[in-house]
Amino acid sequence: MKGTQLGELEELVLLTVAALYDDAYGIAIMNEIKERAKRSISISTVHAVLKRLEDKGFMSSRYDGATPERGGRRKHLFRVTASGEKALKNSREIRNELWDQIPKVAFGNG
Amino acid sequence: MANNPPKFISNLLERFCEPFLYEGIRGDLEELFFIDCQKRGVQKAKVIYILRALRFFRFAFLRKGIKLKINFEPMLRNYLNITLRTFKKHKVYVFINILGLAIGMASGFIILQYVAFELGYDQFFEDKENIYRIQTNRYNNGELTTQWAAGAAGAGYHIKKNFPEIQDYTQLHWSEAMFSVDKKYFKPKFAYYASASFFEVMGLSLLRGNDSTALKDPFTVVLSEEMSQRLFGTENPIGKKIRQNDSNDYTVTGIFRNFPENSHMKFDVLYSFATYIDFNGENVKTSLSWDGFLNYVRLRPDANYRTLQSKLTPVIDKIYEMDENYSVDSKIELILQPLDDIHLNSDFRREIKPNGNARTTYFLAVIGLFVLFIAWINYINLTTANSMKRAKEVGIRKVLGSFKKQLIGQFMFESAFINVVALLIAATIAFFSIPYFNRYIGRSTDFVLPEQTWFWAGIIIVFLSGIILSGFYPSIILSSFKPVIILKGAFSRSSKGSALRKGLVIFQYLSSVILITGTYVVYQQMQFLKQQDLGVDIEQTMVINAPIMTTSDSVHVSKINVFKTGLLANASIDAVTTSTAIPGSSPGWNAGGIRLLRQPESERNQYRVIGCDNEFLDFYGLEVIAGRGFDKSFGNEANNVLVNEASLPTLGIQHMEDVLNKKMDFWGDTFNVVGVVKNYRQESPKSAYDGHIFRYDDWWNGYYSVKVQTSNISETIAHIDNNWRDVFGEQPLDFFFLDEHYERQYKSEMNFGSIFGFFSILAIIVACLGLFGLSSFMTSIRVKEVSVRKVLGASFTNLWTLMTGDFLSLILIAIVISVPISWWLMSRWLDNFANRINMSWELFMIPAILLIFISVLTVSYHTIKTALLNPAESLKDE
Repeated sequence: MKGTQLGELEELVLLTVAALYDDAYGIAIMNEIKERAKRSISISTVHAVLKRLEDKGFMSSRYDGATPERGGRRKHLFRVTASGEKALKNSREIRNELWDQIPKVAFGNG
Repeated sequence: MANNPPKFISNLLERFCEPFLYEGIRGDLEELFFIDCQKRGVQKAKVIYILRALRFFRFAFLRKGIKLKINFEPMLRNYLNITLRTFKKHKVYVFINILGLAIGMASGFIILQYVAFELGYDQFFEDKENIYRIQTNRYNNGELTTQWAAGAAGAGYHIKKNFPEIQDYTQLHWSEAMFSVDKKYFKPKFAYYASASFFEVMGLSLLRGNDSTALKDPFTVVLSEEMSQRLFGTENPIGKKIRQNDSNDYTVTGIFRNFPENSHMKFDVLYSFATYIDFNGENVKTSLSWDGFLNYVRLRPDANYRTLQSKLTPVIDKIYEMDENYSVDSKIELILQPLDDIHLNSDFRREIKPNGNARTTYFLAVIGLFVLFIAWINYINLTTANSMKRAKEVGIRKVLGSFKKQLIGQFMFESAFINVVALLIAATIAFFSIPYFNRYIGRSTDFVLPEQTWFWAGIIIVFLSGIILSGFYPSIILSSFKPVIILKGAFSRSSKGSALRKGLVIFQYLSSVILITGTYVVYQQMQFLKQQDLGVDIEQTMVINAPIMTTSDSVHVSKINVFKTGLLANASIDAVTTSTAIPGSSPGWNAGGIRLLRQPESERNQYRVIGCDNEFLDFYGLEVIAGRGFDKSFGNEANNVLVNEASLPTLGIQHMEDVLNKKMDFWGDTFNVVGVVKNYRQESPKSAYDGHIFRYDDWWNGYYSVKVQTSNISETIAHIDNNWRDVFGEQPLDFFFLDEHYERQYKSEMNFGSIFGFFSILAIIVACLGLFGLSSFMTSIRVKEVSVRKVLGASFTNLWTLMTGDFLSLILIAIVISVPISWWLMSRWLDNFANRINMSWELFMIPAILLIFISVLTVSYHTIKTALLNPAESLKDE
């Protein structure tokens, strides 16, 4: 069971990585989440989630793009894998199905 | 470059972090640092950098690899797994271990709680190191005769006058008065007159009222919170009046906080000492011959009380020498007693309330430690014994590449596991039983322990030393096995391990046998006290506290007579007597300076005086062994006195008949000695006989003793109450039964005896549990040997003695070592009693035989089982 499910924060990070496509590294992900979801996450948390997602096989990573601001160090860049995409879609489908099943009256403004 | 991020933290992180992840992390950190530098300045950025970097020290980023080998989580999980499996396999062993440890720890906690409470007495006084009580020692002819908590009225005054080290002093004198609010009467148990300086000297502040002036004026009073609550409810009591003895009105000027249970002080009501001066004259401030006052002094913070003490005695001697009633032979010594020394180290006459006993407290602490040690030894013994069975496991582990460290880890983990479970059980047991224990021992039910930080420190120390003591040795032994030897099957009992085990068993039995002997001695002493011929009849006696005299003496005498006659009219009441003292406490009237006229001035001594009427001796069954008792037929006996046997030596009398018709000087008046009363246990069976003088009068106003028949007692009480109200009006009838009062004098010893017994039984149970487990292992190892012996023709008795003898010899050694130790300990305890049993061999023989019997029984379960085994069963495989 472990490794096949996406936590809420994991899903958020995975989506962000997908959205950033070729520039998905720690700080960029942190900033993007802050901007879009209005959520402040510490950089260490971002790295922890990234590592977990990579361990689950939802992401692959490479090193590239050294800059002087980074003391000449390369960025650890992430990309969503096929199984990551599947997990995202799976989770979206479950949500859509649930949305479809909600009767109109359920939210009260019918 | 000044705006580089701090290096140390990144270096640390680099060592900690998985190298593959590190570059990305470090890069991100530096990039953020770069941004922060521009936004908030370099200094702040550095701080943020460190905080941010610190948060990367988590398991997720931990470096994998052989170099650091701190792959904790899976290792711990493995430890836990193996532990649970092992425990499942050896259920009895684990059960014995946990039960033993839990009992040991629980007893430890319970006793620790008691000891903590006793040691915590009077610690709440903030400047306790500056506050001292002036305690009085009285000598007769150079010999210390009595020690008093109270002393001369002017003790504090004179010390302050002569020594600049004293900042201030305060005087207290008890009051037995009754008081009333709106015709409702109260008899406070702890009422005193206190000088205005009391609160400042003691460093206490009032809840309401002014600390330094509340007790300044005559007829002012301060109440305890509790008393104020009882009298006035939630109303503000300041300015209200209370009426003392139906005659004097006092204004309430303050409320003080209730004294905590663990203080040697307790007050319900404090009247101003100025009132006492008003009643008795200015002399009471300075008099050195007026006795019965509690004196406390406050030293300047820079003064040393020992130095002061050494300077004090000569000066006080000089002051006393100027006093005409003072003789060198009845010397008085004033001692500065540190405040927190009072509860445990003094149980003198006229203490505010009964004090504790340091010796008892330390005795209990030792017992607690004994039980704890016995439990730990169980663990060590059982685990090392069990290691025989686990030797193969250890061998295989080593062959498969386990490090010694990991093996130790495994065994320490098991030890920690057992200790944690035992600790939880022990805490639960202790939590639920401490209230009962406290009630039993007669101390408050306050749960003081969890409030003390050192208690938590204590738990941690007990816990850690438990793990280390009980886990360390077994794990070292186990992990040092040589795999080749074990796996070849040549492994047998290691002689070194068994020697230590034997030593520990001896220690365990040593502790047990000392405890059993102690219990037995305490029990014998208590029986001895109970079976004492008291020489006084205290049965079926009801004692009424005399009423306040609100009328003139002559009216009061006739009232008492009316009351007496009224009571005797009831068929259930056999006799009535009035006296100033009753059995069960030392007479409060202590008179010094008394001599027979033919004795020289230097032979003046103190005696305890009992004032009584004609009926007193008969009522209490006291025997007159020379001369006669007080008797109506001799007319007014007011000029006659009786003495008791114990007073004869100090009166200079060798044959008791010689004292008859001798004249006695009693404070300037002359009395005629008419009789000698046989010694009896006035105070309690534990104390020695004391010199008493009996004085006659028919209006003594201390206690009215009533001999009642036990049938329909409630009717009798109702009858007494009716008569009381007819004669004395509104005052409440306040009575108690004498046998209970009398027993209270040695109740604490009786309780101590049962506590001693209780924990000894626990210790024995724990020790037997251990022995049971140990014998099970030892016999299981010898199964083959026994079988071979059996095949070769050994009888059942042979085998049983062979195996039981091993244990028996250990127990015998323990018993031999224990005798001198218990002898020493128990003689010290018995020294508490003036009236005590003598040490004899049977006191040691009986516990020893008992212990041997119990142990043989415990061991025999396994030895018999093994001896009865069919040899074919155990020899068939190999």
